[in-house]
Amino acid sequence: MSANGAPKFREDILEAISNAPGVSGGEEAIRNILAEYARDKVDSLEVDPMGSLVARIDPTPARRKAGGRNGGRRGPHVMLCAHMDEVGIMVTAVEKEGRLRFRRVGGIDPRILPGQVFRVGAGGLRGVVGALPPHLTPRNERDRVTPADDLYLDIGARSREEAEERVPVGTYAVFDTTYEAWGTTRKGKAFDDRAGCAVLASLIQRRPPVPVTAVWSVQEEVGLRGATAAARRVQPDVAIVLEGTASGEAPGAPPDEQSPFMGKGPALTVHDRTLMVHARLLSRIEEMAKRHKVPTQWKRPGVGGTDAGRIAISGAGVPSAVVSVVCRYIHAPAAYLDVRDAQRTVTLIWHTLETLRKEWP
Amino acid sequence: MVESAVRTSADWLRYITSLPGVPGQEDAVARELMKAFGTVADKVERDRMGSVYGWIHGVGKAPRPRALLAAHMDKIGFLVRAIEPGGYLRVTEVGGFDSRTLPGKEVMIHSRPPMVAVFATRPPHLQKKGEADRPIQLEDLYLDTGRGEGEVRRKVPVGTMVTLRQSPVQLLGDRLAAPGMDDRAGVVVLLRTLELLRSKRPSWDVVAVATVEEEFGVVCLGARTAAENLCPDLGIAIDVSHGDMPGARDGDTVPLGSGPALSIGGNIHPAILEALKASAKALSMPYRVEPCPTGSGTDAMDIQISSSGVPTAVVGIPCRYMHTGVETVEPRDVDRCAYLLAHYLSELSLEWRSVEVLK
Repeated sequence: MSANGAPKFREDILEAISNAPGVSGGEEAIRNILAEYARDKVDSLEVDPMGSLVARIDPTPARRKAGGRNGGRRGPHVMLCAHMDEVGIMVTAVEKEGRLRFRRVGGIDPRILPGQVFRVGAGGLRGVVGALPPHLTPRNERDRVTPADDLYLDIGARSREEAEERVPVGTYAVFDTTYEAWGTTRKGKAFDDRAGCAVLASLIQRRPPVPVTAVWSVQEEVGLRGATAAARRVQPDVAIVLEGTASGEAPGAPPDEQSPFMGKGPALTVHDRTLMVHARLLSRIEEMAKRHKVPTQWKRPGVGGTDAGRIAISGAGVPSAVVSVVCRYIHAPAAYLDVRDAQRTVTLIWHTLETLRKEWP
Repeated sequence: MVESAVRTSADWLRYITSLPGVPGQEDAVARELMKAFGTVADKVERDRMGSVYGWIHGVGKAPRPRALLAAHMDKIGFLVRAIEPGGYLRVTEVGGFDSRTLPGKEVMIHSRPPMVAVFATRPPHLQKKGEADRPIQLEDLYLDTGRGEGEVRRKVPVGTMVTLRQSPVQLLGDRLAAPGMDDRAGVVVLLRTLELLRSKRPSWDVVAVATVEEEFGVVCLGARTAAENLCPDLGIAIDVSHGDMPGARDGDTVPLGSGPALSIGGNIHPAILEALKASAKALSMPYRVEPCPTGSGTDAMDIQISSSGVPTAVVGIPCRYMHTGVETVEPRDVDRCAYLLAHYLSELSLEWRSVEVLK
């Protein structure tokens, strides 16, 4: 897939951060990896008080000079934002027999939990969510979803002491899924929003045409919290949020519920539960997609919400848009995306920055 | 392949559970098991139904009595039932799953070449109200390979075997979780027992059989046919027993790490049970007695009623979360079952008979 004059999508970054753990509130591992990829490419790099990673990168000196002929114009200050955190679980209690009770962090369907394997904490410890064998399950039980609060994690410990020593209360755990590739399909955990994180990290490998602040935010899945604070600090002129969004594809589903589709290009948001996308910014993005022949599609309007909802209402208001890589099965152990969509998203955002340099607002 | 002498039970468990093989499609696992049995048995053969036999020749005077050990090599899984527009696959189960343990899990489709797929789930963002309160039945679940419909239709015929894809998970206390512990853990007990009997020669002939089609549910086909072939004087099934779990009643489970679970009930010949208990005591080995009031639900059910009746017993390996992708056992229990069987079999006298002549 040609990058069409834009930076190349760095799949190695996606693989590294998809495999690493980073539940909302515990994003260090992701932040450390991204900081390594950003360090040499940006002008400043900070971890804000909440834990978000904030990188500032200005245009090349040549560009700044070229802008100078244009009345000192440097273009708008653009905040690009993707959230580092993923949904997961937190251990909340250790029981007498060494079993761990847990609570969900972020939106996880309780139906995917029984029989699931988790990676617990930062070490290599594994735990399994036990499920009663069908032989011992009364018929009427099988018509009922086991509430998440009744489930537990078994790490093989024989006693409370042994379990507590290995897993203190408050430890996070993530789905035990390994990144894999076949065809243009990529399988991994946490593509919501490691896909956006990797798109953003790919973009800043080259000096952008306008001043950019890249924000890899924390705690999106528990209420869009990291970006709320970061936006106040960054005070951008324009914001674009990069997401991994849910495909509606399913056999037999009505056509209007199937979109957006994996492999059919970046999904553009018109509105969701948190945001009306800035119309002028959106039309500029569409224009760039047409000019550079990047296929796009509409994200299903009215569902979901992103950091953009908070950034847009920050300070005196920030014109904001959301561009997403379409993923199947987000918030589940193994999601899919099409790696061409990731490159297309990098390409589309790059050309959008180019056009914003020339004219904004 | 590593020499068996340096393989621990945990090594064997990791290896043997990784082999595919739903009921009726045990060819690949059987081929590997013939190699594995070849490292520990005097003779290896495969019968017409596909079961694999590993022989240890006894040292008693011929014709020697014969003991049959059985553990089933098939494991529960799925078969492709239909291909939907878009290339999504519907499956039917072979062996009983609780469909509530399937959403979101990865599977291997054993096409040529094999394909990874996932049981698809609808993200919470797109669910209708109340959707997450209803379990998804198997007929409503589907697999997504992340490949185009054309490729799927070309490479995946209806009937293709599908198994849960979960590499063995190492837990604390050496415990190991993997799909197919039921009853590959039993197959590992067979391997370990043969290994021990090689040096500790019994007077009886011992035939360890990795049986086919135990999980199909109609009949324990491999055990029934092997027993008819071999006309054994004694038969012992090695299978998994429910491990201790929240939600299970007392008496339905045995704790992990508590040693062999020796079944008691109509499927069990009392003399064998007593002798197994005596062996455990002689070895200072912990064991539990597992009540099986209406039958053991193992290969021993069919061995017992084969030919003109065979005295049978069941040795169980404690296993949590049976018929899920995280069936959990403790390798120590596997070792203990093997030591127990080797001791019992090598103590068997040539005169032992189950038929009582009263007059």
